[in-house]
Amino acid sequence: MEEAVIRLENVQKVYQLGNIDVPALRGIDLEIFPGSFVTIMGTSGSGKSTLLNIIGCLDSPSKGKVFLDNKDTSLLSENKLAQIRGKKIGFIFQQFNLLQNLSALENVMIPMIFQGISEEKRIERAEHLLRQIGLENRMNHLPSELSGGERQRVAIARAFANKPKLVIADEPTGNLDSNSGKNVMEILTEFHKKEQGTLVVVTHDLMIAEYSEKIFHIKDGRIVPNHIQTEKIL
Amino acid sequence: MTMMIEYFKLAFKNLKTRRLRNWLTILGIVVGVFLVVTLISLSGGIRDTIMKQLKSLGGDVIFVLPGSMDSPMSLVGGEKLSKEDLSVIKKVKGVDIVLPMSYSSKIMRYKNEQKIVFLTGVPWGEGIEILTIFQGWSLSQGEWPKPGKRELIIGSLVAKEDFFGKEIKTGDEAIINGKRFKIVGILDSLGSKSDDTAVYLDLSIFQQVTGDREGGAQAAMVKIGDGANVDKVAKEIEGALDEVRKRKRGEDVSSFSVLTSDKMGNIVGGIMGIIQASVIAFAAIAILVGGLGIMNSMFTAVRERTREIGLLKAIGAKNSAVISIFLIEAGIIGLIGGMGGVVLGLVIAKAIELYGQVHPMFYLEAYMPIGLIIFSLFFSVLIGCLSGYFPARKASKLSPTEALRSYE
Repeated sequence: MEEAVIRLENVQKVYQLGNIDVPALRGIDLEIFPGSFVTIMGTSGSGKSTLLNIIGCLDSPSKGKVFLDNKDTSLLSENKLAQIRGKKIGFIFQQFNLLQNLSALENVMIPMIFQGISEEKRIERAEHLLRQIGLENRMNHLPSELSGGERQRVAIARAFANKPKLVIADEPTGNLDSNSGKNVMEILTEFHKKEQGTLVVVTHDLMIAEYSEKIFHIKDGRIVPNHIQTEKIL
Repeated sequence: MTMMIEYFKLAFKNLKTRRLRNWLTILGIVVGVFLVVTLISLSGGIRDTIMKQLKSLGGDVIFVLPGSMDSPMSLVGGEKLSKEDLSVIKKVKGVDIVLPMSYSSKIMRYKNEQKIVFLTGVPWGEGIEILTIFQGWSLSQGEWPKPGKRELIIGSLVAKEDFFGKEIKTGDEAIINGKRFKIVGILDSLGSKSDDTAVYLDLSIFQQVTGDREGGAQAAMVKIGDGANVDKVAKEIEGALDEVRKRKRGEDVSSFSVLTSDKMGNIVGGIMGIIQASVIAFAAIAILVGGLGIMNSMFTAVRERTREIGLLKAIGAKNSAVISIFLIEAGIIGLIGGMGGVVLGLVIAKAIELYGQVHPMFYLEAYMPIGLIIFSLFFSVLIGCLSGYFPARKASKLSPTEALRSYE
């Protein structure tokens, strides 16, 4: 059987709010295989963002193990995690999170800086990515000069800059109108096919979930069987 | 290393976005560094100028002043060298000529103008040789006064039109303390404003005019004989004066000072050292305040850019990268501030120097060694980095998830 890109074993996460322990994840087991497109769905407060942060190595679990490429990452130092994120994981956020003082091209180049890639190669790769998302004429525009959909497309290009094994998108269309949202999802799926990565999207929008191959439903910090959840939503 | 260049580029871009605030922060450093550079440059210039003047006095002249150097107030007080003191000095082995000098501020009337002048009495008979040969005095007009006559010579600036409203010529008359004097000579510039605005006359006449009947003096200039050792003669003068005072007047404190030009140089150097040290201390405080400005600015930047920092960390920036970027930003602010301060400081110091060439009161050369410039730049970068360190560390310690959750 194929090795999972990411495997979670009984992952629990507890936040402390003052003296009260608030469990966000109550034991999650899940495997995501290379090249797949997976959606994680759930209502707000269900723990889906926490789960995404742990899958993306942005956060460590309170209990349980996280294997990325078969390596346990739950005990790594923050700097090691940063290194792994930079190399193997791409992020797409609801808020785009582009650097306002850098052009579209420079924004796409940023993740490559931390990997020590030469400027020449960075520009080449960034231009290639921006051409693919149809922004070849806006490469030198600042984010403030781009529309929401264009910004998210730049963010997608940035996420794929280092050819990551895993791309994580947190409500990628949450801040966009339905047309731009559709456009962004099309580009995302297209990239997913071309760049051969694994794509994990968190959303509460069933329309988006339909693009994916597999849906995990999460409720109260646990993965729940698909059919119950789907019935409820429908 | 190549990473550092990339961080530099990022830092520069970040600085460009918040121009107004960054320029204000830079201005804080500019003011501090400018103060340091100007003050050090001017105080150094004053020291050099004084040293140069002392050197021009020549090494073979000893000054004897009433009052002790240990209690500086006695130097400006009314103490005098008595006639007896003077004759004791004259008897010391190796002493060639003793030139007593007295001075006092008096109102001088020329035509219908009155001005306060610094009246200096010198015995012309013995004095002319020392003054012309060793002190380099020379006349631009007229002749030296004859001893015992009511004749004046005046400093070069006194003769100028803007002093009394009219240019003074030799042969003119002036009135001091109700007595009429003939101006017989005008001196060439002696190099300092206080000397050039003084009026000189025979010591005996000075004593008459000021009503001083004791025959002492406020200072004595001693010219030593050929082959005599300055320091040795100075020591002996000191010993002789001490002895006479103890034996004849029962004083056990020596209230006089014997100064060679070396010794005066040391004293001036010491005083200027203290002045410079305090100047540096004040200026350092000014730079420190500028540093607090940088710190404030960087802390605000960290708060504003929390999301940005979160993002950089999410996409692979290590803590060290975040610290580096913020430190470089702070360092650049410090460096630009330092450069601005150095340039402004040197320009102002040079301007004062140029002004001093027109107005001899401020005569000094600005002192601008390359070390001062390098030190200022280094110091301002250091202050920038130090004040950037805490904000940078705070920025790097943000957890990426929390940083990303914050809203702008």
